[in-house]
Amino acid sequence: MALLEVRDLHVTFDTADGAVQAVRGLSFDVEAGKTLAIVGESGSGKSVSTQTITGLTRGARISGEAVFDGLDLLSASAHELRRVRGAKIGMIFQDPLSSLHPYYRVGWQIVEMIRAHDRSVSRNQARARAVELLRLVGIPGADRRIDDYPHQFSGGMRQRVMIAMAMALDPMLLIADEPTTALDVTVQAQVLAVMRNLQEEFGTAIILITHDLGVVAEMCDEVVVMYAGGVMERAGRREIFYRHHHPYTEGLLASLPAQGAPGERLTPIAGTPPSLISLPPGCPFAPRCAYAFDKCWAHRPPLDPVFGDPAHTSACWLSGDEQVRARQRDALERAREESA
Amino acid sequence: MSASHPGADVLLQCTDVVKHFPVTSGSLGGGHATVHAVDGVSLQVQQGETLGLVGETGCGKSTLARCIARLYDLTAGTVEFDGRDLTGLSRRQLRPIRRQIQVIFQDPYGSLNPRRRVGSIIGDPFAIHGIDSRAQRKRRVQELMERVGLNPEHYNRFPSEFSGGQRQRIGTARALALRPKMIICDEPVSALDVSIQAQILNLLADLQAELGLTYIFISHDLSVVRHVSNRIAVMYLGKIVETAPTADLFERTRHPYTRALLSALPAPDPDAADSRERIVLAGDPPSPTNPPAGCRFHPRCPKARNDCIANDPDLVPRLGDHASHRTACLHPLQIGEDMSIAIPQIGDSEIAADTIATSEGAS
Repeated sequence: MALLEVRDLHVTFDTADGAVQAVRGLSFDVEAGKTLAIVGESGSGKSVSTQTITGLTRGARISGEAVFDGLDLLSASAHELRRVRGAKIGMIFQDPLSSLHPYYRVGWQIVEMIRAHDRSVSRNQARARAVELLRLVGIPGADRRIDDYPHQFSGGMRQRVMIAMAMALDPMLLIADEPTTALDVTVQAQVLAVMRNLQEEFGTAIILITHDLGVVAEMCDEVVVMYAGGVMERAGRREIFYRHHHPYTEGLLASLPAQGAPGERLTPIAGTPPSLISLPPGCPFAPRCAYAFDKCWAHRPPLDPVFGDPAHTSACWLSGDEQVRARQRDALERAREESA
Repeated sequence: MSASHPGADVLLQCTDVVKHFPVTSGSLGGGHATVHAVDGVSLQVQQGETLGLVGETGCGKSTLARCIARLYDLTAGTVEFDGRDLTGLSRRQLRPIRRQIQVIFQDPYGSLNPRRRVGSIIGDPFAIHGIDSRAQRKRRVQELMERVGLNPEHYNRFPSEFSGGQRQRIGTARALALRPKMIICDEPVSALDVSIQAQILNLLADLQAELGLTYIFISHDLSVVRHVSNRIAVMYLGKIVETAPTADLFERTRHPYTRALLSALPAPDPDAADSRERIVLAGDPPSPTNPPAGCRFHPRCPKARNDCIANDPDLVPRLGDHASHRTACLHPLQIGEDMSIAIPQIGDSEIAADTIATSEGAS
């Protein structure tokens, strides 16, 4: 059994403009000790889904299941959830400065966090553990810096403090929501190295939420590609990059500047993502999809296995058979050229 | 492009540009310090080319751009545009020049006034420079909107009715309004999702081809800069550490900082990610209020030697490079040299990992 099993998660926010369907039927598993990337553009629902799992989306209408280590987090009581969150599931966010309290020394914050979950640990023990953690994430002079305030750390160092705090209680799962997006590339490389080393040492599973396909290629075992609140494609890392099925995945990869030769025209995805208030009935990607045909507009495709690989699923009406698919694609392209 | 043949017209010439900002430091209101944002930068931009300017947060790339557009006054040095020295010009004298140099900013939300209609935002440059009557202006604005891929019928809408990518098109239309010779693109796609980013990059390329524009393209994203630039200049702590034609910079990298920057860039390709050399630099970039002596990169440089602490290297061709490839490094990399095994040969106290704690703790 997987460490975390999310089934048919729906999250809706009621707003003055209408119901925003942020997550629409999301299912995925995270295996112990593995890294799952959730990739998607702004508004795809990637952050909302993990925030919902950890009970951080107040006021949303939620349905579905998220079973973590035998406990359904979505129906768990606040008390049960508090014991899991922080202790068994650690979390780090994009902006470490707003996740750390500016008035308290970082050491005090880590000690508090440890003692909030286990009062039997003495202050001194917790402090020793905090120094050990800061050393583990590569903060030089950890025994001195433990008494510094968050503003005395640089962005990269603060993110290390956040990782130290998230790892304090030896969680089984670490949820990292865009952990390096605010950092420069050389600092990003440092922080990713810290995460990789911790995973190797402690076998922590990681959910890495990111929009950066480069980070995905570096860090992940499996990838979930989200669009308009749903999974478009899910596969192993190599399959996503080298043998993807969904036209959205294809479009994302094709639009990267790294793919083309310098100076060549890029291949963007036409149009913009749909509003989550009034989604069309069919595939949410159909309006931007080069391969869309009648069925795509009428019915939303299920997430089914493709290429005969049960671990590789795609929510697309195009055939999983590559030859059939190539024929479909050619026919559609011809039809479009004729009509143009 | 025209940049490749020598003797192309020089459109912009910066010589020893320095920009310092005074700051009051310390919670006790005590001392004064100076941020050395740009500290002696010389560069040339040729007519019709794209110069990429890369570097990390705080390296001074945006400050340099603002000095070039004369949004800031220089502390020292000169900026010559189209053969004319802009450095000493008054606001009034600068006016006609401002039509020639326009800027597209990073934040498509912050750079457009939310209370004004798109038509008047794009039409501002005409109004400010007193060009055309009202009716003519509307037609010109609608032409511009069409050119950047906006629906001209949306003339009366407000910025909030547009997505991030469309807002960046609005900013581009505004920059194009006065038919400038040069556009400074300051992180124009950093706030956009990749699929939208590609749309804007294509638009900028089309406009350059159609209108013969010259770009200075600023970004922290090397894969974007590589894609758009003819030449690249890499900045670190207020100075250019390496500049070269794009292919040269990637294939014949000389400066250890450039190499580290390239190696830190995550490749969206699992095979490349698994096989490539990873150089993880120690520490963070030092504060520009108190840049290190000698080569500014020495506290983080795996190849640092004692002479790097004493000497500030000049930006010149190294190891027999062509005049267009210049590097500010006393121990530049050989082609194919493995930097991941290099160990700094300087005193431990000079190495970043140990000095950050004290320098930051004290600041």
